[in-house]
Amino acid sequence: MSNDVFEQIKQDISQNDIVLYMKGTASFPQCGFSATVVQILSQIGAPFKDINVLENADIRQGIKDFTNWPTIPQLYIKGEFVGGCDIVRDMFNSGELQDMLAEKGITSPRAA
Amino acid sequence: MMISGLYGNHLDIKTAKTMALAEEIKTRVIEAMAPEVIEVINESHKHAGHAGDNGTGESHFRIIVVSARFENCARLARHRMINEALEPVFKKGLHALSIQAFSPSEYK
Repeated sequence: MSNDVFEQIKQDISQNDIVLYMKGTASFPQCGFSATVVQILSQIGAPFKDINVLENADIRQGIKDFTNWPTIPQLYIKGEFVGGCDIVRDMFNSGELQDMLAEKGITSPRAA
Repeated sequence: MMISGLYGNHLDIKTAKTMALAEEIKTRVIEAMAPEVIEVINESHKHAGHAGDNGTGESHFRIIVVSARFENCARLARHRMINEALEPVFKKGLHALSIQAFSPSEYK
């Protein structure tokens, strides 16, 4: 995998608080797992940058190599890999994701 | 070899050849994780004709793994352990894998 692709990924995850590597776009997901993560982030009200891996074969493979993670979607928060659909859903259901986003100052703290 | 819960009610349409990937997932997870519980559920039929359906009927799986080796491991680490064990299966065409990973105490 070329350095250019990794550089692009590093730039995207450092310049955006939340980046979702997904199939399709936030407004038109093309995979159920990607759609689930979009739905969760939308419900929390967390703005995110969506990157459609179907539009770029280099990024599609590159993000798998970069994260060392075999599947899409992949969620990055503040430059850190959080997980795929299963982990994001578990963290949302337990409230950990909401707390993490609030702690990092991305969303407002939840009402008690 | 018959494994309960492997295909749910979709066993009827599977041939011996298409059993291969599910068997391999199970074998590799057993080798890597020595699980107390391992269930491999083929959900490929739910994604038939969608992106990632490669026509083999073995593209999308869900696994439930209960292993003492998950004790004191965060979610990400658990998933990485499974992904690592299944790397050869991903190379063979496994497209999507939903993972439920529990330690024995969490599963009770």
